[in-house]
Amino acid sequence: MINKTLERSVIVLSWAAASILVMSVAILLGFLFAKGLGTLSLKLLFGSTPPLAAITLRQQVFDGLFPAVAGTFLLVICSTITAIPIGIAGGIFMAEYAGIRQKAFFSLLFDILAGIPSIIIGLAGLSLTIFLHRLFPGRLGPSLMISALSLALLVLPYLIRSTQNALESVDPLIRLTAPALGASRIQNVVKVLLPNSMADIIGGIILAVGRCAEDTAVIMLTGAVAVAGVPHDPLSQYEALPFYIYYISSQYGSPDELASGYGAAILLLALCTCLLIFAFVIQKRLVTLLLYR
Amino acid sequence: MAEIFGKTPVPGSGEMGKRTLLEHLFTIAALVSAVLTGAVFVFLAVFAIPLIKNGLFFQLLFSNWLPQQHLYGIYPMLAASTMLASLSLALSFPVSLFTSFFITAVAPRQLRMVLLYIVRFMTGIPTVVYSFAALFLLVPLMRAILGRGSGMSILTAVPVLSLLIAPTMIIFFVNSFQRIPSSTILAADSLGATPVQKVLYVIVPQAWPGILNGLLLGLGRAIGDTMVSLMLAGNSPTVPQSLADSARTLTAHIGLVLAFDFDSMEFKSVFVSGLVLYVSTAIIMSIFRITSTISTGRRK
Amino acid sequence: MKKFLFLATSLIGLVIYAQAPWASTDLMPFKGEKGRIRIAGGTAHIPVMKEAAKRIITFNPDIQITIAGGGSGLGIKQVGEGLIDIGNSGRRPTDSEIARYNLRLFPWAVDGVAVAVNPQNKINSLTSKQVQGIFAGEITNWKEVGGTDRQINVYTRDEASGTRKVFWKKALNKGLILPGANVVVSNGAMKTAIANDPYAIGYVSVGYIDKSIKPIALDGTPPTLRNVRTGRYKIARRLYSLTKGEPKGLARLFIDFLYSPTGQKIIADKGFIPIKK
Repeated sequence: MINKTLERSVIVLSWAAASILVMSVAILLGFLFAKGLGTLSLKLLFGSTPPLAAITLRQQVFDGLFPAVAGTFLLVICSTITAIPIGIAGGIFMAEYAGIRQKAFFSLLFDILAGIPSIIIGLAGLSLTIFLHRLFPGRLGPSLMISALSLALLVLPYLIRSTQNALESVDPLIRLTAPALGASRIQNVVKVLLPNSMADIIGGIILAVGRCAEDTAVIMLTGAVAVAGVPHDPLSQYEALPFYIYYISSQYGSPDELASGYGAAILLLALCTCLLIFAFVIQKRLVTLLLYR
Repeated sequence: MAEIFGKTPVPGSGEMGKRTLLEHLFTIAALVSAVLTGAVFVFLAVFAIPLIKNGLFFQLLFSNWLPQQHLYGIYPMLAASTMLASLSLALSFPVSLFTSFFITAVAPRQLRMVLLYIVRFMTGIPTVVYSFAALFLLVPLMRAILGRGSGMSILTAVPVLSLLIAPTMIIFFVNSFQRIPSSTILAADSLGATPVQKVLYVIVPQAWPGILNGLLLGLGRAIGDTMVSLMLAGNSPTVPQSLADSARTLTAHIGLVLAFDFDSMEFKSVFVSGLVLYVSTAIIMSIFRITSTISTGRRK
Repeated sequence: MKKFLFLATSLIGLVIYAQAPWASTDLMPFKGEKGRIRIAGGTAHIPVMKEAAKRIITFNPDIQITIAGGGSGLGIKQVGEGLIDIGNSGRRPTDSEIARYNLRLFPWAVDGVAVAVNPQNKINSLTSKQVQGIFAGEITNWKEVGGTDRQINVYTRDEASGTRKVFWKKALNKGLILPGANVVVSNGAMKTAIANDPYAIGYVSVGYIDKSIKPIALDGTPPTLRNVRTGRYKIARRLYSLTKGEPKGLARLFIDFLYSPTGQKIIADKGFIPIKK
């Protein structure tokens, strides 16, 4: 009798929990779209500047999101380019070369790295800036480069993990074929294992890209500013979409600025969702990776 | 599996030099990553040691933030972070657990997949977007409901933070439920157990390390999140007397007090906040690693 | 009619003729320049900085100007440490800051700090005593000062703020600001917060006052530009741009531009009282 009641209440509570969850998200996003969908247009990006002149950098956009979008784009490129080689090579080591003890030790370190709040990474980046600035006075400050390096550190554990998981889940039959035919371990890794797990590795990279694009805490300590235009070089400060959303949320000066804040939020959401979907389309084992955020 | 094959003697010969170079690069990459993790800690430690030696560390940990009276302590932020994280976890854990029951057993089959997709989609929603929407929807609502205060309070941040950490937990729970050996499940099936009975009497008792680990990851995320509390909790640097009070977390404190020279008390305060966050998340992740090693051990 | 048209066109022509060379002579020094100006600090300065940057970059796209907030304290520190080219401050740097960082001061506007509430609030005027009481947390309900029966939501700025320093010194007489007050990070954020909260009180640069918030007369004196100029409204300050040592290159040109007729007009348009060099 008690058991029946227990089972019934579990069913009821499960329905309730799932509906609360879905409804909360639906209400928040519905609100966002209701307010912001109307702002989506070319004008949101370029304001009163002719798009062509803006893209070719002949004119700076002052009343549109273009500099923030360009900043986020450059940031993502710089940080993933830095992180990918180290992350993939580290993942190969973890999957193929590390002994049991090494593996346990490194796993713990990478878990810790994955668990560090992003604002700590930002703080580390900031301290590095001050340190470098003392070393080379006047040349280095908070900048795109520092932010990109910090973000690379932030996504490194994902890349290592995704590569490691991808390699370890290659079918043992495939794994054994090449060595049996006389291939060396490195030949096996490069010619067989990597190509066989490429989809999973790319999926991991795409998730890392999404993480770089959405993070706010790191960049607000390391070089994102309110007004910068499109950065001219890696040592410039820059604008970025997430920082713009944060900035506008607290200090919009007019209904127009607030509206472009809603527009920016939808844009960032769309970008991150597309990346996520894309990652899932190319591979399906990603689920565990989502946990490392 | 991988270790075993990784350890098999390398058959064949050829290009010894080239091979070792590339293989060394793999090792170096892993080492570099490990060193970087260590570097973050060393940087924190290098600053911490003098502070701990002269007692300033604990003084900062347990005093208030009143710069005009030359007090740079982080005690209020410590209290706010603990309060916000534990409340969010307390709200998010039951919702996540029951949602994962829903996905595993309770829901009609098609709905399970739909919900799983929704949860995965939720992991991709940027924190700043959540906070932005909540700032304009939830804050005015809270102001009206509470009847006092600005609407920015711990109570405003808790549901948003709960929503943020829920998908992490749900995915972890669902995964750990699915990893229960099928022989056990089949045994339960053959005894005529309903899906709910399976969850209650077979899956949950076996999957507790997974549940604990999901909880740990959720806690780590809740402590470490910056934007939700920065944008929704009001940021006043006092120990909140009630949940309707404005409060500032450790992460928001680091974001707000932009300190640009190592010698200032502001920097030391921010830095101690960082160290506390680092150590607590490192402890959480270590427990996480230990429990997951135990649970994989059990499965074998 | 014809006469009128002629007069009108010639007048317009004259205005264009008068303005065009005027504007471009002020921008002329930027011609052919290349590089970067990094500006940060005081948030009261931002509207002027943005407009000046817009004019300069539109004239010469090879120049990049980055503008960040952070507050006066941050502006002083960052320029002192050499992390930026121009630091803005809404308060005079202390003598020790000037000496330590070898700062050069360029005050270019006079500004006031106004107590402000939401336009829905019925209160129009408060005494200094009442303001001090509210910010110290002794007066906690609007009804105690003649408003509705509702808790007062106090907003303040972070410790790096120059606006906060000036307000604390001149309006609060260095009294307590209750630690439980909500903290916002800029003048813009203060304005937005007050505009969104019907029971808010805060303090903001006079240049930021518009229809979305209501300035409060202090001891009977409303914080208008005129009262700031004549000195009747006491909570006033200068807005400074700072450089480490003598300004060089683009930083020098930027500061010169602020003092040029175009620059002075921008400052006045943004609601401040320009100061000549």
